[in-house]
Amino acid sequence: MATNTESTAATARPELSDYLSDDLVIHGLLVFSIVLMGLPLILAVVMSTQTPSEVYEVTNVGIGSQGLANYQTALGEYNLGQYMWNSFVMASIIVVGKVALSLLAALALVYYRFPYERAVFMFILLTLLLPVPVRIVPLFQLMADLGWANSMLSITGPYIASATAVFLFRQHFMSIPASLVDNARLDGVGPFTFLVKVLIPMSKGMIAGVSVITFIYAWNQYLWPLVVISAQEKQVVQVGIRYLQGASQSGLTQWGLIMAGAVLALIPPLLVLVVLHRPLLKTFAIQQK
Amino acid sequence: MTEFTKPFDSSWQAYLLLVPTFAVLIAFLYYPAVETFRLSLYQTLLLGTQKAFVGLENFKILATSPEYQRSFVISFAFAAFVVVGTLVVSLFVSYLLFEVSRGTSSYLVAAIWPYALPTAVAATVLMFLMHPTLGVITHYLEALTGIELDWFTSGPLAFVVVGLVAIWKQLGYNIIFLVAALNNIPETLTESAKLDGVGRLKMLYKVYVPLISPTMVFLVVMDTIYAFFQTFPMVDLMTSGGPSGATNLLIYKLYRDAFEFNSLGKASAESIILFVIVAILMYVQLRVSESYTHYGA
Repeated sequence: MATNTESTAATARPELSDYLSDDLVIHGLLVFSIVLMGLPLILAVVMSTQTPSEVYEVTNVGIGSQGLANYQTALGEYNLGQYMWNSFVMASIIVVGKVALSLLAALALVYYRFPYERAVFMFILLTLLLPVPVRIVPLFQLMADLGWANSMLSITGPYIASATAVFLFRQHFMSIPASLVDNARLDGVGPFTFLVKVLIPMSKGMIAGVSVITFIYAWNQYLWPLVVISAQEKQVVQVGIRYLQGASQSGLTQWGLIMAGAVLALIPPLLVLVVLHRPLLKTFAIQQK
Repeated sequence: MTEFTKPFDSSWQAYLLLVPTFAVLIAFLYYPAVETFRLSLYQTLLLGTQKAFVGLENFKILATSPEYQRSFVISFAFAAFVVVGTLVVSLFVSYLLFEVSRGTSSYLVAAIWPYALPTAVAATVLMFLMHPTLGVITHYLEALTGIELDWFTSGPLAFVVVGLVAIWKQLGYNIIFLVAALNNIPETLTESAKLDGVGRLKMLYKVYVPLISPTMVFLVVMDTIYAFFQTFPMVDLMTSGGPSGATNLLIYKLYRDAFEFNSLGKASAESIILFVIVAILMYVQLRVSESYTHYGA
């Protein structure tokens, strides 16, 4: 797209210098916007190295004397290490569970002939209308009745089936070349072999994309863990940074420590996004269609 | 999409494959949702240990409660603020990303990262950087404008600050979809305008925005749902609904009625109202995407 803009713009406006400065303006504006979007984060990282008294000198935006000590304190003394581990386990279970269940459901929807196919698909899609806040009170009671309160089951179970994931795998399966499917049919390949040998290898990008979306979504959960987990040592990191807010030292809130906690809670999803942004973007491109 | 003969026709196998998904959806989505409807017709007493059937009384109480009415209005105003703010900023950034000639992919990652930003982290970071007395951003903004920005006591300011956090976090998601939509526009549709030497800004709102309007509608719906459902951590961590109810969004009020005041019937009625809001939004999205596929994507 960009190179074409260049050539057409050049024919429309003969002066090359005009165009060059125009391009420079775009780069300038882009860098400015990106820095502005990232600035709070950069400041948070800087402040996370400061002592409370350094933080209280408001205009001091230099690296503080704490170094990485705030991170150590947050991870150890304030149990953030434990909370991050809990978040990681939760997010991993949800990713694996959701991908597995949704692959099976999409296999049935796309490659099987069965009665009420359309109704089944609608039944799955309609759950898009039921985000957690719409069912939070009975769901909480259900967890108590099942004896799941304060357990990993309560923060993973309700999340491992999903309309979005089934929809995405279904769309992707329907785009797999018909010849492959027909070959499998003529060879008399069973459904399980078909899934493992044909579908999964052909869906690697989509599986990666769904996994990234699910991991980020699960890691960022706040309301539901806050409601259903009351035992601190079982808590996830997003709610864990709430516990840090009370941290103070001789009457001064330890904002440096709190910033260290916030940065720690951001690192895993950010890493996942940066490493796997390509499959993520491709998956989103399909979702919108 | 290619046509093929479905290779398997054992119905019971198909249903077997669907069982895990159905079990989870029924147990944790449909059953609690139906229960919410039922509970909304009861009044809970003695911290939720007893309940009495009251019909639509909970809805009447909510409709006539000034506190709920205010929370309702504030939530819609908040959604409008977040949707407009997010779309304007992300449209601007996306257009720059679309027009830039070099380094597109590294710029893109640097612009979409807030997609991975947890709302609780966004709230915590800006809570500190915009702190009325300790915040470095507040300090320089006050020096620049000469206005005292004490959002711990001013309702409208608190509303704006929480809104800014919500916008910040949502930029990444919007930029992802807008850049994709801009890149999908066939060149034939924009070529003549470009040859006419239409300026960049005019190009954006006269040519590109109409062409990507289905994506814009999709984002308006998704951002509105986000503003209603995902903003709980911001209110909880930054303002607790205050000062004097200025940021008491419906989702936060629901949480407090359910889990602080144990008014489970009333809270369920609030859930139902949120359900109606999300249902209307999804319906709009469905209708628009249908008409979009008709005129040929």
